[in-house]
Amino acid sequence: MSLLELLRLAMSRLRTSRMRAALTMLGVIIGVASVVALVSVGQGTTSSITTRLSALGTNLLTISPTNNTTTNKLSLDDATAIAALPSIGGVAPEISTSLTVLAGTTSTSTTVVGTTPAYPTVRAYDVWQGSFLTDASLAGNLRVAVLGATTAANLGLGASDIGTRISVGGLPFQVIGILQPKGGSGFQNPDDMVIVPIGVVQKYFVSGDTVRTIGVSVSDPAEMSNATTAITALLRDRHDLASTATADFNVFDQTQLLAAASSITETLTLLLGGIASISLIVGGIGIMNIMLVSVRERTREIGIRKAVGARGRDILAQFLVEALTLSLLGGLIGIVVGLVVSALIGQLAGWGFTFSPATVAVAVAFSLAVGVVFGVWPARQAARLDPITALRYE
Amino acid sequence: MTGVASDPAGEPAGDPAADAIISLDHVRRVYDMGHVEVPALDDVSLRVDPGEFVAIVGPSGSGKTTMMNIIGCLDRPTGGVYRLAGTPVADLDDDGLARLRSRTIGFVFQSYNLLPRTSALDNVATPLLYQGVSRSDRTARATAALERLGLGDRIHHEPTELSGGQQQRVAVARALVTEPALILADEPTGNLDSHSGADVMAVLRELNASGSTIVLITHDPEVASSAARQIHLRDGRVVS
Repeated sequence: MSLLELLRLAMSRLRTSRMRAALTMLGVIIGVASVVALVSVGQGTTSSITTRLSALGTNLLTISPTNNTTTNKLSLDDATAIAALPSIGGVAPEISTSLTVLAGTTSTSTTVVGTTPAYPTVRAYDVWQGSFLTDASLAGNLRVAVLGATTAANLGLGASDIGTRISVGGLPFQVIGILQPKGGSGFQNPDDMVIVPIGVVQKYFVSGDTVRTIGVSVSDPAEMSNATTAITALLRDRHDLASTATADFNVFDQTQLLAAASSITETLTLLLGGIASISLIVGGIGIMNIMLVSVRERTREIGIRKAVGARGRDILAQFLVEALTLSLLGGLIGIVVGLVVSALIGQLAGWGFTFSPATVAVAVAFSLAVGVVFGVWPARQAARLDPITALRYE
Repeated sequence: MTGVASDPAGEPAGDPAADAIISLDHVRRVYDMGHVEVPALDDVSLRVDPGEFVAIVGPSGSGKTTMMNIIGCLDRPTGGVYRLAGTPVADLDDDGLARLRSRTIGFVFQSYNLLPRTSALDNVATPLLYQGVSRSDRTARATAALERLGLGDRIHHEPTELSGGQQQRVAVARALVTEPALILADEPTGNLDSHSGADVMAVLRELNASGSTIVLITHDPEVASSAARQIHLRDGRVVS
């Protein structure tokens, strides 16, 4: 018998018991839908975390003091020395403090960051309007400010307000630029800040000449670990640390965090998929159950078919194709349901909808496998029935 | 009674003519009931030639059903040789039996044994399905068979929408659609009222008249009287 004939038989059978077929498929539908949806959620989380982390700056090394500020020895001179090392793209030392900012009568409380002109390169910011700090404004300790997108919006300032005066911590500053928004990364809004020359912060707001962090961008991603080693050696030397002493600073590699985060979310995706596939197995057992009942109920039909010339393998094929039709139809409906659910979740979570053909292929293969694994046994039972007994079965 | 078996039912052993449709040579069928062996058929020999209309008659327990199963290739003898259309069935495996059945025999059962929730047309076409006949040929041949039995206007009806007599005529159509060498009818009138029963018997006589070989198995002497030859079974043996 051709596959087409077998499919025709299976479809006409499913049509005569629609309710039962639908309920049997429901198990597979739920199983496949949850695999597709959960894997897609996992992938969405992964890509969302990766995008957010890389938005913080690629090829970024962050140097910060180990413990607290009392032992902090990081200085502007350290930053200058690092800049002289090979394969360093930019060095941006930072000091930050929280201050009130006023534009006219509108006020907001925000982070004031003192840094150098290399900051946009290192932290991956773009200037939207106006310009960023220059070497001249740094050298002259000019009271100029670049606003983060959120801060500008909070103060009611827009493109036409470049050059306007605002008050930062009680002192007048001139707005020279507004940054492109980066988008929230959850724990801290990277667009809510005011950037001023680092010397200005040291002069008016934070005493001492230590810096909070030094951001370093490495010109070549392949040089990340070499740069880390070079910076560590340089700073140990500059801080007069004995070779046995623990460092009083940390060199933190952004890519390591990225790798760790994606490996965690990938494991999570696998775990979610694994849990979901348990429900697929349960769905398969549902198919097997109904097929066994069906073989019993249709014993007489099997006897008749054998009497009119069906061979064991014809009966086997008929029941197997029925089970496969159930599982494959369920699988296809499950994929559609799963994609709709993951699109909805993606919409709500804001990472959009990513269609993954691999997941769909795996889901189809899985539901076929479920049909075969759980369909073979009942089909063999049917094929082995003795026609005499089967014909007499009531 | 007409056609009382005048010739001996048992043919001379060792002379299974190649052109006989059915040839049983000292066939035994013993059921193994744990410790006891029950012989259902005991040393039965007979032959049926093409074009014959033979009734196998006997009370219940005489071995009729076993005979039917063996002739129908649903069961194998435990001793002796059975040849169907010249093929010794002992040499065949289950698939071989199924193929032989499919090519050679059309069954008519007492309880019709039509596939439920399946139209008369698809029921009649089912044997052709297992012979690998194409769908359009199946439909044409099944329609022709149903029309031959006067059911041309019922081809899309399901068994539950047909009377007993009509169902049995569908079953007869299914038996003859493959143009088998032999139509094997097991109590074909057993579930029918006398009118429908006579109708089905008339159909069988008509088929025989147009060349079909028919073996009828029944307990009812009146039904058996339709046949040209009667073989009487008692306690697993041919008595006349």
